[in-house]
Amino acid sequence: MRVTLDRLTKRFGTFTALHALSLTIEPGEFLVLLGPSGCGKTTALRMVAGLETVSEGAIQIGERDVTEVLPKYRDIAMVFQSYALYPHKTVAENIGYPLKLRRVPDPDRDQAVRQVAEQVRLDQLLDRYPRQLSGGQRQRVALARAIVRRPTVFLMDEPLSNLDAKLRVHMRAELKHMQHELGITTVYVTHDQVEAMTLAHRVAVLNNGRLQQLGTPREIYGDPANLFVAGFVGSPPMSFVDGALQSGRFVAPGADLAVGGSFDVRDAVLGIRAEDCQVVPRGAGKVRATVYSHELIGDHTLVMCQIGADSDASHTIAVKMDKAFEAEFGAEIDIDMAPAGLFIFDKKDGSRVRLPSA
Amino acid sequence: MTTIDRRPTPVTSIAHHTMPQPGPIARLFEPRRIGKMSPMTAFVVYGGLLFWTVIVVFPLYWLLVTSVKLPIDVNEGPRYLPFIDFQPSAHAWRYVFIDIGGDTFRPYVNSLIIATVSTVLAMLVGSMAAYALVRIEYRPSLGSIVMFLACLAAAIVAVVAAGVPWWIAAVGLVAVFLLLLRAIGRRFQRRLGNADIQFWIISQRILPPVVVALPIYVMFQNLGLLNTRTAFIITYATINLPIVVWLMHDFFASIPIDLEESAQLDGASRYRIFFDIVLPLAKPGIAATGLLVLVLAWNEYLLALFLSGADVQTMPLLVAAQNATRGPQWWYMSVLIVIMIVPVVTIALFLQRLIARGLLVGSVKG
Ligand SMILES: Nc1ncnc2c1ncn2[C@@H]1O[C@H](COP(=O)(O)OP(=O)(O)O)[C@@H](O)[C@H]1O
Ligand SMILES: [Mg+2]
Repeated sequence: MRVTLDRLTKRFGTFTALHALSLTIEPGEFLVLLGPSGCGKTTALRMVAGLETVSEGAIQIGERDVTEVLPKYRDIAMVFQSYALYPHKTVAENIGYPLKLRRVPDPDRDQAVRQVAEQVRLDQLLDRYPRQLSGGQRQRVALARAIVRRPTVFLMDEPLSNLDAKLRVHMRAELKHMQHELGITTVYVTHDQVEAMTLAHRVAVLNNGRLQQLGTPREIYGDPANLFVAGFVGSPPMSFVDGALQSGRFVAPGADLAVGGSFDVRDAVLGIRAEDCQVVPRGAGKVRATVYSHELIGDHTLVMCQIGADSDASHTIAVKMDKAFEAEFGAEIDIDMAPAGLFIFDKKDGSRVRLPSA
Repeated sequence: MTTIDRRPTPVTSIAHHTMPQPGPIARLFEPRRIGKMSPMTAFVVYGGLLFWTVIVVFPLYWLLVTSVKLPIDVNEGPRYLPFIDFQPSAHAWRYVFIDIGGDTFRPYVNSLIIATVSTVLAMLVGSMAAYALVRIEYRPSLGSIVMFLACLAAAIVAVVAAGVPWWIAAVGLVAVFLLLLRAIGRRFQRRLGNADIQFWIISQRILPPVVVALPIYVMFQNLGLLNTRTAFIITYATINLPIVVWLMHDFFASIPIDLEESAQLDGASRYRIFFDIVLPLAKPGIAATGLLVLVLAWNEYLLALFLSGADVQTMPLLVAAQNATRGPQWWYMSVLIVIMIVPVVTIALFLQRLIARGLLVGSVKG
């Protein structure tokens, strides 16, 4: 079902945790709320769940205004960051609890629990208690408890953050597959941009309680709305160089690039992603740099280059090179930047300066 | 490209090094192996434990021994070992159970009923109050409370000085207070919080019980409840309530709120959450608190002295009564104390397993 947030605002005393967040989550969509810790993601999610009162604005599920409806009447399931399993109930009792509260007869309940447990591969563990499970298994119990009653909306608050890296990758795939299969509208909160990019149909990037950008992972990555989004999304993060925009040229110590247009911005920031750069021999590129360090990642090498090293405003630029790349630390090189990969931001407010070519 | 020289630097001749060994003194104060105690530590720890065990166990032993002594064995100085120091006799047990059997039995049943019912009552009311204080935010305004106290004072003056029937005064009190609250209640700015309420409840125990003994006596006299189990139950439940609230507050606060919020989303009502989730998780706390309160009620002596009469006595009173005109009857007293201890020790042993077990393991985090 469609979920609509209309200028949703939350204040804790004088502190505003969420500023007029407006979002429409389409039926069956997987929407990820992405942002750094403390930006208000959990608060937004808890307001949708009804665990937090709304200071201003409204929430709709389908055609129904649920702004002040009790949580139990919203038909929402939530997976907590802590999993929130009932420690005194077995796995089967945990999963079956929502059905028990809805007075589903025992045989039907057993069958539903069994079916869901099979789906998340817990059918061997139904008689265990949460304390006897590993982190990944607990996670799956929480998931099973959420899907057993086919809610209209599915909320997840950093469900993977307590798992180790390998399990996280595995559960990510499972989550995506399951959401696709069930087709339940899902709001997923995370501070991990990789999770956001891999899971989401659309990503809403939040910072300081304000929506920064709403778009598909591709849009968020390839067309960031501002400096914050550009720096937050991507691994390694986008490299930034402070400088000035003078009638279509970006000028900084060690760099002088034609970026198109004829704007003047006194305090500008140039952004470029690692894969849009190339290390080339000195004299063959536009930007002078030295090799600061390089790391073999596996299928590629990440070269950290320093520009303007001899001035008082040096910057590091990450460059993605072939895995065979080798260079001495301190080698003098040039960086070649693909014109399409250049982003210019106004340093004052972080807003994007749209270049005519883009 | 140059290659980095990765060969280790050669070790130049450093004087050959021996591993340090402990000296004879150090051997006493250092553990022989990791994970073990040093000899001195072991001596101090086990010595201390042994000493404390004697302190705890000896009075119990003395009690048992005294209960099988004849008066002459008690009066003729310390005798420690049955069959060696003295010949044990069951005379005190016979006297307590057979000769005055009924007079032992009645206070015993009274004590059982009064202690259990008052404990259940205090636990029920106290737990709910503690839970509410943990999970619900109260903001009573200071002005309204002062106003209520003023109305109450006026009502008391009306009853005592002007002879107004008490029920008229009570109705008037409520009516006037509600009217005033509606009229000027909104003006009061200063508000109290949960911590203030909690402190107020605990403060009830700061008062020495002897101060309230007489007022309680007069109150039950006016109500015609003196010398009844009801009076005991009400009194004990009331004086134990603050302890229950205080202890249970911490137990409830330790339950992650996530669990309750999750249950809320699963579709449970507040009461359902309390009984399905919170109470089972607070079991260790309930066991510990219940045991403490039970023991307090079981052993209470001072207020019992005021509340009791010919019909209703409790065990502590019966024990004290053995210090009669003929001098302390240590042998009877010992028998009574032994049978008084038995149920409490039994319950404690049963509950101990429950208290020791952490029930929250595995609820949250990986
Ligand atoms: N109950 C509360 N009282 C006061 N401030 C709160 C409360 N809950 C959250 N906040 C504040 O609101 C901001 C957003 O919190 P939250 O939504 O938990 O962030 P996150 O994006 O990390 O999930 C934080 O600065 C936090 O300190
Ligand atoms: Mg959070």
